[in-house]
Amino acid sequence: MFRFDPYSPVMDADPFPFYKTLRDEYPCFWSEEAGMWVYSRYADIVTALNDWETYSSAKGNLVDELPNRAGSTLGTTDPPRHDRLRALIQKAVTKRALDHIIEPARQSARKHLDALAGEKSFDFVNAFSSKVTVDLLFYLFDMPAEGQQTVRDKAVLMVQTDPKTRKKAPEHIAAYDWMVDYAAELIETRKKNPGQDLLSNFIAAEIDGEKLHDREVQMTITTLIMAGIESLSGFMGVMGLNLADHGDARRALVADPALIPDAMEESLRYNTSAQRFRRCLTKDQEVHGQQMKAGDFVMLAYGSGNRDERQFENPDVYDIARKPRGHLGFGGGVHACLGTAIARLACKTAFEEFLTRYPEFERVEQQLPWVPSSNFRSPMRLELAVG
Amino acid sequence: MPKVTYISHDGAERQVELPAGWTLMQGATLNGIDGIEGECGGSCGCATCHVYVDERFADKLAPMSEVEDEMLDCTESPREANSRLGCQIKATPEIDGIIVRLPEAQS
Repeated sequence: MFRFDPYSPVMDADPFPFYKTLRDEYPCFWSEEAGMWVYSRYADIVTALNDWETYSSAKGNLVDELPNRAGSTLGTTDPPRHDRLRALIQKAVTKRALDHIIEPARQSARKHLDALAGEKSFDFVNAFSSKVTVDLLFYLFDMPAEGQQTVRDKAVLMVQTDPKTRKKAPEHIAAYDWMVDYAAELIETRKKNPGQDLLSNFIAAEIDGEKLHDREVQMTITTLIMAGIESLSGFMGVMGLNLADHGDARRALVADPALIPDAMEESLRYNTSAQRFRRCLTKDQEVHGQQMKAGDFVMLAYGSGNRDERQFENPDVYDIARKPRGHLGFGGGVHACLGTAIARLACKTAFEEFLTRYPEFERVEQQLPWVPSSNFRSPMRLELAVG
Repeated sequence: MPKVTYISHDGAERQVELPAGWTLMQGATLNGIDGIEGECGGSCGCATCHVYVDERFADKLAPMSEVEDEMLDCTESPREANSRLGCQIKATPEIDGIIVRLPEAQS
């Protein structure tokens, strides 16, 4: 009997064979372990993302939702309020508005590469990608420089789930509570001394003459910090992994750095860090012969849709010439990732610097430690040999 | 399935069928029509799926939101009275046969 257990460490390491069985044999599958339906085909996921009236986010979008969060963040609110909230932030994060982050990102990348001078091997995630990510987020949100490492550690912990209990463990909830308090302090400070940064603008914003709800501000900022740190670092982690594993692709990028964006898009398709999110049905639905009820949760397996042979030819091949338009690496529809332009600019800049310094590298460990998470997939550590 | 015709800036025409509820941006990106980028993924957040809607269909479309209106001020090619974002137009039976022209540049 086929089972689909998003909590299993086997799934963290390699979900792709399970996804293939889902797509081919059980395109609308009830996962007992997750307690929800699973969509695995590209077309079904896109249809669900387009139809927010049927597939609501208001009961949470994380496979394991954090307490008191659903309904108070961009990702867990439906239109029309979602659109009004998002509009408050959107303009600050469009590509044109973000030229100012390129130089700080470059300086950060150089600084952390300088610190590695002389090393024969190092951990790409903890010594480089997460450091650049944290620097950039602190710059973007104008956050106080002290405590960077703690903020990063908590962000990584709060996205995790316990493989045995199939829930958030106490330390994950504690990390989340810590981040909520951190956001609350930040908001108080910013209210007293508003700046021109993205957070200050959001805190001061109004919709129809009304201030945003306190919880909305607090939970949204908590989520932006979490996503900014964990998701961006995860994206760079899998990109680093792909370039370690695919020497031809890496050498092509070294020879012509203008190809880096193509390699990034293919990484977002091939093994996106955002593997699975969820929605809640607002009405009964029949899909692929399965009767689903209003109130049932549906998991959208982006990582599977991105490997769907019905959409992408030879989906298990990492091909930087593919230009995989319409991939689900950032989700899609009204809730598509808010930080796409930040992520693309930061990742491009970081890899331009990294590949200049290290045109040749390979992974040291064949078995990687993966973040235990029902949502995300990225290596906790990626030791690279460069010497 | 509703049909959509895309006319590229160089005059090339392509008609595609879209599953109901999919957007004109998706119809282009998933069928290899290059004149639309859709960089933000369909969240009305980038103005790279700018299209000019044939006037015969103008009154069949849902009115644009404030956010779309603001985003259309950021298009690379000039905004016209019939400018819309492809990610905000869903293929429905009411707009079956719609024709959109693609601008010279999206970014």
